[in-house]
Amino acid sequence: MPPRPDAVNLNELLARIAKSAGLALIVGVLILIFVYGAQGFTSKFNLFNLTRNLSVAAVVGFGMMVVLALGHMNLALGSTALASVMIMGWVMKVAALPVPVAVGCGLAVGSLLGLLNGWLIVKTKLHSFIITLATASMFLGLVLIMFPGGPISDLPREFTGISKTRYFGWVSGMLLITLVAGVVLAVMYRFTTLGRQMLATGANPDAAELSGIPVSRAILLAHTLSGFLAALAGVMFTARQGSALLSTGEDWLLASFLAPLLGGTLLAGGYVSVVGAFLGAMLVGILQNGLVLIGVPDFWVEFVLGLTLLITVSLDRLRNVLAARRGN
Amino acid sequence: MTDVALKIENATKRFPGVLALDHAALELRPGEVHALLGENGAGKSTLIKIITGVHEPTEGTVWVDGEEVTFKSPHDAMDAGIGAVHQERNLIPRFTVAENIMLEAVPTKRGQVDYAEMRRQAEYWLSELDLDIDPDLPVQRLSVAQMQLLEIARALSLKSRVLLLDEPTASITEHEVQVLFSFLRKLKAQGVAILFVSHKLEEVFEICDRVTVLRDGKNACTNVPISDLNRDGVVAHMVGRDNALSDLGHRAPVDAPTKLELKDVSTRIGHSNVNLHAKKGEVLGFYGLVGAGRSELARALIGADKITGGQVLIDGKEAKISSVQDALRKYQMGYVSEDRKGDGLILAHSVADNIGVTIWHKIAKFGGFVTDTMQRKSVRGFVDRLEVKTPSLQQTLGNLSGGNQQKVSVAKWLAAETEILIIDEPTVGVDIRTKGYLHKLIWEVAEAGVTVLVISSDMPEIVAVADRLIVMNEMQVVGDLPNSRDYDEMSQKIMQSIVGASDLKESA
Repeated sequence: MPPRPDAVNLNELLARIAKSAGLALIVGVLILIFVYGAQGFTSKFNLFNLTRNLSVAAVVGFGMMVVLALGHMNLALGSTALASVMIMGWVMKVAALPVPVAVGCGLAVGSLLGLLNGWLIVKTKLHSFIITLATASMFLGLVLIMFPGGPISDLPREFTGISKTRYFGWVSGMLLITLVAGVVLAVMYRFTTLGRQMLATGANPDAAELSGIPVSRAILLAHTLSGFLAALAGVMFTARQGSALLSTGEDWLLASFLAPLLGGTLLAGGYVSVVGAFLGAMLVGILQNGLVLIGVPDFWVEFVLGLTLLITVSLDRLRNVLAARRGN
Repeated sequence: MTDVALKIENATKRFPGVLALDHAALELRPGEVHALLGENGAGKSTLIKIITGVHEPTEGTVWVDGEEVTFKSPHDAMDAGIGAVHQERNLIPRFTVAENIMLEAVPTKRGQVDYAEMRRQAEYWLSELDLDIDPDLPVQRLSVAQMQLLEIARALSLKSRVLLLDEPTASITEHEVQVLFSFLRKLKAQGVAILFVSHKLEEVFEICDRVTVLRDGKNACTNVPISDLNRDGVVAHMVGRDNALSDLGHRAPVDAPTKLELKDVSTRIGHSNVNLHAKKGEVLGFYGLVGAGRSELARALIGADKITGGQVLIDGKEAKISSVQDALRKYQMGYVSEDRKGDGLILAHSVADNIGVTIWHKIAKFGGFVTDTMQRKSVRGFVDRLEVKTPSLQQTLGNLSGGNQQKVSVAKWLAAETEILIIDEPTVGVDIRTKGYLHKLIWEVAEAGVTVLVISSDMPEIVAVADRLIVMNEMQVVGDLPNSRDYDEMSQKIMQSIVGASDLKESA
């Protein structure tokens, strides 16, 4: 006799928690290793720096996660962030408008560029990979044309102050921004029509369409959100650097995939884990930070991160194959 | 050589929360066609997947030619001489017919593919099956039926001594069924052991020698000669009670205003001048051969494809439907797809999400907030009413049996309170009990005032269920027949409509 149909399946709930718990455990072990093995890891300066980087990396991960939910990608995350912060910097410094207005402009630019990606994908019906690969270059090129003078430095203290706040002497205040973004996203996916529509679209776009879901709208909004989050990460990064740099976002690509995929978000779409993406960003951030502290050369850090991504997607694939074999 | 080609005993398979197979047994002799029957969820697929090495059994033993074997992968099973044709297509669309047939055994010469030899062997297997197909044609250009026969040819080319056919006749015409059967008889004579899975009992009685029936994962009868059984006996074994395909009873003729009307409708896909109407609360049946354009018309009606001419009237007013959303939200129109896996359902998501998808916009509060609890509250009634067997509403839909999935795909449109419901092949791949249940449900829904358009290639089904029949052929309506529910009379009229239309075309 099957149990009451409304009983929440305990197994499923536990499996869900276990998914993040496993990752949390790995992060914990990694922390322990570096606490004992890496000199200076626990210094207030290092931890502050780590949490600051982490808060940016997690938002970058969220930016990719929201399009992975559709089974899409956004290779233009980095150049979207770049375009956003350069324009923000220009508004702040050259046009000398108030900081909140400038930040608003930056975020708006990011959102618009994301919307453009979504619109192109919906209209051409081409894969997001190729569309965002193209727009990534276009955005980058345009920025370089528009800002031949290079970076915009000496941004007002009022702005850079965002990155200087700290709690307990070592926790970056920017983590708050990341947490708010994470909570909003988690609520969206679990408790709103829009989030459910995005996930349904990702899991099976044809079935979603035939069920009366506004699939195109879901795609447009997800990419807009991705652009917004890219801009947000860019703003946080810029606050930390004190200048709007032309190198903004150039090395984000790997980590942007790694964080959500480590956290259990499916590459194929239809399932996301916000907590997982945050933990994934933690793992990447701590790994980078710790390895550098124990004297591992940069190239090797890069190698390790690439390897981690490969192992993550392979394990995910293996899990699927095994599940299919068990008939699950 | 023993007199048993394949034997399986005590086969048990436990999935999380479900005992799919419970000490099942089966024996295949060389030169027999053995029917494996059972309702959806009875364990047939699981048994087949064990025999073909897709699943490892929790318990149980498999013998091939008297030797105990353990299959670690489908390849092991193939090597042991077990060929299988699954329900799902396993062809590569862009490859040619010859390449597909020889996929597992590509002939080579000095390390290079020997295309001449490949073609020669492929031609041999095609001629064996009496198939008139050009081996150089890409598979994507073939009809569904040809693809089905091609898969059988491929299984044979591996020189299988045991051949598993999972619903091989589901999508082919009567003539092709006969071609297939005469070929199976030839294989029988050559000593191949054939396991034949089908829901069509007529076919089982025509071709099979012995029968094994599964019910709830257990053997209801094992290796019984077909001569010891009659149709009712088989059905009784399958459902565990006599006469489960109960008479639908009587239904009064519908006397209500017209709900839906099509005037000279043409579509982007090629329909032209389609005229028909359906009353409120009427069950309108759509019959036609595969490719007649019924599903395509349905898709155009619900806004998934373009209507290029004519008028669609709903409640007497012209309806402008440019998306499925329009159809659902403005005109309360829904479509149950024939392709549950492809575009009907989201198998990776929960039962609740799959039903809720059509009503999220309705049950949401504060401009878009839907919790799992709210959703469960809205969908639970439908799961109960349709007797969907699931451990919980949060269960992943893909874990349910085909029949239960089908109930879910109907439930999601009932939840949406549709006034016009199009059901495409409501009982394909569904067991007898669920089939009878779905037929009754269609009447119940119509009784409540919903206009139901049923598309079916199953003539007995359409004659039993529909109030009126629309016959389609080559993208056109060729018959609009009141249904007397007398099968012999109606089947004749239907075929006359189709043949008559073709004759007319030829003489023109």
